[in-house]
Amino acid sequence: MGCEIVTVSADTHFVHLAWQREEKDLAEVKFAMGSDRNGDLAKQFGVWNGGFCLRGTYLIAPDGKLMNAEVNFLNLGRNIDETMRKFKANIYLGKKPNEGCPSKWKDDGDRTLTPGPEMVGRVHDA
Amino acid sequence: MTESTTLQVGQTVPDFSLTTYEPTTKGFGEFKLSEAQKNGKWTMLFFYPADYTFV
Repeated sequence: MGCEIVTVSADTHFVHLAWQREEKDLAEVKFAMGSDRNGDLAKQFGVWNGGFCLRGTYLIAPDGKLMNAEVNFLNLGRNIDETMRKFKANIYLGKKPNEGCPSKWKDDGDRTLTPGPEMVGRVHDA
Repeated sequence: MTESTTLQVGQTVPDFSLTTYEPTTKGFGEFKLSEAQKNGKWTMLFFYPADYTFV
């Protein structure tokens, strides 16, 4: 899919192994499980919370630019559909930099907006 | 690291690497951002509080 997915917590890679081996829900996991023992990376993204990482999701473009950031507190899980929507939108916009994906955009083929003078004050009609 | 250095959307993420567990090979490895970039790949970082908790 052209994307490296890396999960990150302050656990060691040994604990990642044990958890993935034990937990049935993780049996099909394909992504790398990263260890941020001292929270160095979490601190850079502002999600280090007293020894734990907040539930932060970040999408980094191939050129290194941070395109998306979402942070939930410790007690709120993420919705993978929304994460995927944003990922697909970013891929699309990477190819069509002059367009914008509105909130209801879900996938290739859905209506996009192309900002310009004719749209000012007429977004409703677009 | 102070608040003012927290990365913002639109900024370039400095290169970093993480020691990883790779479920596909059941072995340990390393993820390096610059390697993903070299391969033209996007990177999704998914932080969570701790193993053995819900995601």
